[in-house]
Amino acid sequence: MQLESTLLLIASLAVPLTLLWDFSWESTIGVDRFFGPPHAANYLAVALAGAAALRMAVVATHGGVGGVPLGRMRAPLGAWITLWGALAFVAALLFDRWWQSNYGLAAGIWHPPQIAKAVAYFAVVVGAWVALLGQQTSPRGALEAALAAGAVLAMTSVVMTAQSFANRQHSAVFYQLGCATYPLVLVAQSVAGRLRAPASAAALAYMGFTAAMVWILPLVPASPQAGPVYNALDHLLPPPFPLLLVVPALALDAWLHGLPARERGAARWTAALAAGLSFFALFVAAQWLFAGFLLSPAADDWLFAGGGRRWPFFLRIDPAARTAFWDFVSPGLGWTSAAVAALLAFFSARAGLGLGGALRRLQR
Amino acid sequence: MKGLLAFAGALLCAASAAAHIGSPNVFFEGVAGVHALRVVIRPPQTFPGLAQADIRVTDSDVTRISVTPTFLDAGDATTPPASAAARVAGDPQLWNATFWLLRRGSYGVEVELESARGGGRIAVPLQAAALARPVMPPALGATLVAFGALLIGAAIWLAAAAARAAGLAPGAAPSPRDRARGRIAAGLAALVCCAAVFGGNYRWQQMDRDFANALAKPLPVEAGVRREGEQNLLHLAPPRDAPLTAAWDTLVTDHGKLMHLFLIREPELDAFAHLHPVRRDALAFDGVLPPVPGGTYQLYAEVTHEDGSSETLVTKVNLPPPSGAAALQTSTGPGGGILCLSPSALQPGADQPSALDFDDSWHMGASDPTPGRSAALMGGGRMDFETDGELVADRDTALRFAAFDAGGAPLPLEPYMGMFGHAALRRSDGTVFTHLHPAGSISMAAAEMLARREGTASPMPLASSATAHEVEFPYAFPRAGEYRVWVQVRSGGRVLTGVFDVAVRESG
Repeated sequence: MQLESTLLLIASLAVPLTLLWDFSWESTIGVDRFFGPPHAANYLAVALAGAAALRMAVVATHGGVGGVPLGRMRAPLGAWITLWGALAFVAALLFDRWWQSNYGLAAGIWHPPQIAKAVAYFAVVVGAWVALLGQQTSPRGALEAALAAGAVLAMTSVVMTAQSFANRQHSAVFYQLGCATYPLVLVAQSVAGRLRAPASAAALAYMGFTAAMVWILPLVPASPQAGPVYNALDHLLPPPFPLLLVVPALALDAWLHGLPARERGAARWTAALAAGLSFFALFVAAQWLFAGFLLSPAADDWLFAGGGRRWPFFLRIDPAARTAFWDFVSPGLGWTSAAVAALLAFFSARAGLGLGGALRRLQR
Repeated sequence: MKGLLAFAGALLCAASAAAHIGSPNVFFEGVAGVHALRVVIRPPQTFPGLAQADIRVTDSDVTRISVTPTFLDAGDATTPPASAAARVAGDPQLWNATFWLLRRGSYGVEVELESARGGGRIAVPLQAAALARPVMPPALGATLVAFGALLIGAAIWLAAAAARAAGLAPGAAPSPRDRARGRIAAGLAALVCCAAVFGGNYRWQQMDRDFANALAKPLPVEAGVRREGEQNLLHLAPPRDAPLTAAWDTLVTDHGKLMHLFLIREPELDAFAHLHPVRRDALAFDGVLPPVPGGTYQLYAEVTHEDGSSETLVTKVNLPPPSGAAALQTSTGPGGGILCLSPSALQPGADQPSALDFDDSWHMGASDPTPGRSAALMGGGRMDFETDGELVADRDTALRFAAFDAGGAPLPLEPYMGMFGHAALRRSDGTVFTHLHPAGSISMAAAEMLARREGTASPMPLASSATAHEVEFPYAFPRAGEYRVWVQVRSGGRVLTGVFDVAVRESG
């Protein structure tokens, strides 16, 4: 299933990356058609993932033993999840098209079809990750699984883009959201991955692919086509620079890699506590300092796309707010909110341990 | 992805008002530089969305037309690039352009023409707002329900299969314990799916409510009548629970008046008044009521704010019958002859006219106007509806009327509030009400303000392509149905009102 796996990996990486392109397109051009280039690429990515998963099902069905059976069909569990995601995407897209042409964005951003689309995207990338974790029979397979975990991390960061602008990276909600989500994926990858540092590899993949979008998109000339235009743009807007997830991921790998899969009881909770707290401490420390740098003139270059100079055209923003932390929008991290974030990191890490153990035992 | 436009969403304003009820399209007829043109703008229903502009120019030497919408709250620096209009195949005079509107609100749409004779520019005020609550087509609803049921079933099966068999070696049969785990997972998945369906439905209802609350709709107003000597005074105030934006201290004059108020007696539709109450303070308008018969009246009042936004205020009001000398005036009205009155014609030299606005006018006639295309005018004259062919919904038309005296000779028209005519138009069920003049449906106050701001030509108040006894209104009926049209012209210092019933058929 080498070809199918590779196609599935490419497709699952393309899902968050095309969404970043779409974010950039809408922030720069503003005109948003159903079959606009980033949308079309995004649909293609989902379709490719669905096709690769279907192909895996065909191969497994002919093989006759492996996989999870459904009637006469068989497919690896991950392939089933991706197929479910692709089907859910079709339904969500139908719903979304009607919604957009009837409510537009006036009714709100996180509307039901939008949430359904997000669920479908997650099913596609998580399915690919699960499928590839089940095929780590070679170093290449283990690397592909890590890259697929990177796609899951990228997808998570895409849905939280609005909360992840550097100006919000001292806020409580940014750290609480980060602590509730990333440890789940990183810990599970650290436990189930077969590389020497699986979580770190996944974090690096996320950072690398996202950073590539930060560098490539601004090379394309583009300008706003709808008004009001509060920020003049002549090239596609870079998405926010990726989070430094590799820092806490290294610690997670150091703590967790080689942890017995069947470890139970108190030891598991202790491991979750260590993983959760180390994630919290390192994520906050790294991102807190890095956010200050991103808002400074030193980051105002193609590499970091920082310095508070790059904004969606439709965002009316006070010049003083461009390089400031927006404590007035969402309150900064305090002792209580930090404790909540740490607690969330702990529970997320515990769930990650459970998921990672199950994925490590995965045989179908 | 759309979700990332969160910032834009946060900036969308809360509620907006409609300048015309049930008639969202904008009609404009005027002159840009040396070129006469007619513009129809169809704003989108949703935002961001595509607006359509049809531009009709009679001059064949126009080489290029471009359209640029400026969001009025934001300033010129924020204007996006112009959209070029393309000629419509098969009609050498018609051009069409599409342009994006990011959010609802007040826009100035600049239309620029290029020609060897220097071209010209004109700015048309546009209020873009959502009008209707969405309804999902049953077929799509059924498709989505089927998809939803399939996806929920698949998700439950998938959860069960994963819990039961994912850890088993290929070919191994699940133990009873594995099966039990599978059943628990299926139950949990079912719970999650139920929660998702209920949560999603709740969120949809909540968003739909918010959307409906923010729809463009006529603003309610409180109206009351009090007696002062021989006169009945109409008093208007914003409702007690109205938002602060309803204050009237930011109004600007349209045709020289702060408010154009229409009264239509229901259900007979036999009495009609076009009045101009006076502003007392930021929260009150007062006006002397003309001697129209008593009864229930639908009230429509149009105002324009200094930011260029227009509103229609609506309410129902019970008017007492007139008394004293004025009562005699009405006695020959409904059921009898036709009365077209205005202060100048009412008791010259008496005290009463000074309390009424010189441009106030009212009309009483039969509840069913004479069928056909000719309406009787007071004094024995007549007004003809001269537009050829049948009226079709959503089709750009010129509603043309001509006035004749009792002897059948053309009646020379004089400007009435700066225009050769005013028309009020109401669908039989009241869902459409609009006020037109020869320059279109736009608020002239907003157009003049825009012209000053954009440095474009001022809209020509007397623009009329018709001859002196004819008047023409550019319009497209928004929906099929029966409409009543009141057409008001001035001749010999007197305002005359012709009343017509017209049928508009479905397009296509």
